[in-house]
Amino acid sequence: MAQQTNLLQGTLDLLILKALAVREMHGLGISRRIEQMTNGTFQVKPGSLFPALHRMAEAGWLSAYWGESESNRRAKFYRITTSGMRQLVTETEQWERISLGMTSALRTT
Amino acid sequence: MSLFNRVSGIWRWLVHRNRVEADLHGELRAYLDQLSDEKIRQGMTASDARRAALVEIGGIEQVKEACRDQWSLRWFDSVVADVHYGFRGLARTPVFFLTVVITIGLGLGLNTTLFTLFDAYVLRPLSVPNPYSLYEFTWTNRAGNGHVFNWPEAESLRRQKLVFTDVLTAQRLLTRVDGNQLFGQLVSGNYFTMLGLGVDKGRPLLPGDAATPSSGAVMVLGYDAWRGKFGADPGILGRKVYLRGHAVEVVGIARPGFTGLGSIPAEFWVPLTLAPLVAPGRQDALFLTVTGRLKPGVSVQQAGAALGVWSKQMTADRPESERAVGTMLVSRATMIPPAPDLLAAMTPVFVAFALVIVIACANVANMMLARALARQREIGIRVSLGAGRSRLIRQLLTESLLLAVPSALVGLAISELTLWLAQHAVLATIPPAYAFAFHLPDLSLDFRIFGFVILAALGAALLFGLIPAIQVTRSNLTLANRGDFSGSFRKSRLRTALVVGQVTVCVLLLICSAVILRSREHMSRQDLGFQTRGVFYIRVSDAFRTRVAERLRQDLGSGAAATVWRVPLHGRLRTLPVSPVGSFSSMLAGYNFVSPEYFPILGIPIVAGRNFTPEEARAEGAAVILSEATARLFWPNRNPLGQSIRIARDGPPNQWDKRPSYLTATVVGVARDAVSGYIGDGVDSTCIYFPTSAHAPGNESLLVRMAGETSTANRLLKSAVDRVAPAAADQMAAMDEVLAIQLYPFRVMFWISLCLGGLALLLAATGIYGVTAYLVNQRTKEFGIRMALGATAGTIIRAVLSQSLRMALWGAALGILLALAISPFFAHEMEAVDPYDGFAYLTGTLLGMIAALAASFFPSCRAARIDPAASLRCD
Repeated sequence: MAQQTNLLQGTLDLLILKALAVREMHGLGISRRIEQMTNGTFQVKPGSLFPALHRMAEAGWLSAYWGESESNRRAKFYRITTSGMRQLVTETEQWERISLGMTSALRTT
Repeated sequence: MSLFNRVSGIWRWLVHRNRVEADLHGELRAYLDQLSDEKIRQGMTASDARRAALVEIGGIEQVKEACRDQWSLRWFDSVVADVHYGFRGLARTPVFFLTVVITIGLGLGLNTTLFTLFDAYVLRPLSVPNPYSLYEFTWTNRAGNGHVFNWPEAESLRRQKLVFTDVLTAQRLLTRVDGNQLFGQLVSGNYFTMLGLGVDKGRPLLPGDAATPSSGAVMVLGYDAWRGKFGADPGILGRKVYLRGHAVEVVGIARPGFTGLGSIPAEFWVPLTLAPLVAPGRQDALFLTVTGRLKPGVSVQQAGAALGVWSKQMTADRPESERAVGTMLVSRATMIPPAPDLLAAMTPVFVAFALVIVIACANVANMMLARALARQREIGIRVSLGAGRSRLIRQLLTESLLLAVPSALVGLAISELTLWLAQHAVLATIPPAYAFAFHLPDLSLDFRIFGFVILAALGAALLFGLIPAIQVTRSNLTLANRGDFSGSFRKSRLRTALVVGQVTVCVLLLICSAVILRSREHMSRQDLGFQTRGVFYIRVSDAFRTRVAERLRQDLGSGAAATVWRVPLHGRLRTLPVSPVGSFSSMLAGYNFVSPEYFPILGIPIVAGRNFTPEEARAEGAAVILSEATARLFWPNRNPLGQSIRIARDGPPNQWDKRPSYLTATVVGVARDAVSGYIGDGVDSTCIYFPTSAHAPGNESLLVRMAGETSTANRLLKSAVDRVAPAAADQMAAMDEVLAIQLYPFRVMFWISLCLGGLALLLAATGIYGVTAYLVNQRTKEFGIRMALGATAGTIIRAVLSQSLRMALWGAALGILLALAISPFFAHEMEAVDPYDGFAYLTGTLLGMIAALAASFFPSCRAARIDPAASLRCD
């Protein structure tokens, strides 16, 4: 199991938006999808996942509804909204700027 | 988020709270189930999978709490919890709750009452368009007296259009209209048009009504007078009413709430051109006030300067003493202009009210402080459990607000109640002949006052809540957990100061009310020097006086009616400069014109010499009767009879003054001293009687002695006068009522100061009780030890009482000193008031001390009942 990495503030939001950009998912699905997307670098615990989902729903980036999971269980699904999509674009740009800056800073000798 | 979303969010939050919680619960359950399914698929047993899933989640409740923290309306939850908790806390201590609410309520209520009155008279503008451009104008002469305008002067000012766009002129007229005593105004024709004022019914007075002298027999009636005195008669328009014997047609009803310009509310308006008919004679010659509307853009200073130049031109050809030297412009935007001297006169009242509020505040502060200390342990525990400081302060503030809202409501109720009681008390106690003069402006609560009360209550509660809150949260945790604050939190000095202050104020107010009570007693018991019982006065204009006197002579016999220039007890005597012949120094002496019947009717004996002869009276001859005091002053140790006095001329008299036509007069008699001026001044220091008769012009009234009941006598007199001409008399009253109205202000002052003093006493007593109880509580352990060592109950009671007695003594001493310090300001105001009355000081001080000791007696008894064993065991 990969080592637990401390998520940067804001990183989790970006990952969730990215995960949901493809399709609607329930909580466990999001957590597994993030694990998969980051090659196991990030394992999102429910203690941080659910507060983040609720906060983003309050902000209007996500909407939630009850549906059937693949194993025929009732589960709460999250869907990205239009304003969530916009947020994804801005946050992606921001992240790319930061990561570019960080990379070049670390390469400087 | 838009406002609508916010509000609907709160609504959903309140309504669907349970569903949101259930949703959260279901979501986490589903997650748990899915996680277990996943683990079972990986090969775990069902029970292992469930346990592992639970471990991975790390506590469902914690996750839930973290989610709840993300909800934007979470604060609402904590507010609800705080309110709930606050209510529970207050419900546990209902006595504390009620005392605080009633104390703040009393303070606020009194404040509001005072502010409402002040607002109605001084602050609220007239209900006319653009009231702040209205200024009353006059010029002042060398002596500083304001000029009283006559018609040509007023017209000249109006035509000038110097600084005013328009000018209205008015003269007060107190008379009877169809048998109702009314205050009215003779006004220029442009009165209503200049003010820009419509009417409720009919039409206003118009310039055409006042076109030619003696024309325009029309009247606009005040709305309140129409409802109150004419029964809101819908057919009043077009009806004729009688005004000093002249029929006048009612053409309009003024708007509700409009009572004219100035502090005395007018109840009817008639054109100035009626003056020759309804106000004939020299004594009633026009004395007009002029009020103008300032042109836009003209400042008061500019207007004053321009009018100063104009006044000087107007008076350039007049004698030196009549020339204008200054101008006065007084705003007529409110009933009483907020001038500095008015505010100065109101200061003692404001201060007395403020002092009561100070006591109330000190009480509340003390109670809140004691309560905050009592809650230290609770707060200490909450801090140890992780409550943040801001969270704690928020909770304490919520509790303060829970106190503030009921306090504001109680305050409003108390202010409404006091206003209502005051109005009814005045109406019930004022002498009936003067009840007509008692008008209160509209005192209904408006939003500004309501807002003021709410804000004041919030301010008070926040202040009292916040200070303990900050202090409490600053306290030491470990000590707080033990409930021990003696080290870090000793506020005993502040508390003692508060109690001493309360006793000081209380004693001061009690001394004041005792002084006022004693002077009232003194005044009502003093010998006036004449009989008021059975004597009536009739104020009647020159046009009817001879006929009314003749009618009374026929009905009641000769000698039943006396003619008098000024009725006694109608304020300080008018003065004129006189000197005894043979002396060079002239002095101002009080004087009056009376007919020979005056002395027997009032029962004033002529102690030397003789009364006026009928010939002297008819001719207003050069004879005078002096009061004993005057005779002694002019000719000490000599017989005044046969001596002469010289009357000096000091420029033209005021229009309303009646002066003798001769310059020297012989003393023919000496009358016993009497109180014929202002009752507060006592016996007249000087009084010169000049002879007059019913035929002479310029007198004001007739005095009549009647046997029997006051009401019967009143009816008889009224019918006698009305047979001369309808509504011929302007005013009629029993002299007993005149006396009562002179004493009335003292009665009102006494009741106000008694109420304030009583309230101060009550508040100080509760304050002392609270503090002593708290101190006893704090010293429980000490008392327990002392009793275990052999102290008796008496020793303990003495210990507690002596502590209170010390505070009370300090307070009383300061109160007496303060009373002595303010006395000089009142010492020379009135003869009858003795601000150094020892008996009043003693009574006030004793009352305060007794209340203080009584209030601390009960807690001291509780201290004496302390069980030593129990007190030593606790903690």
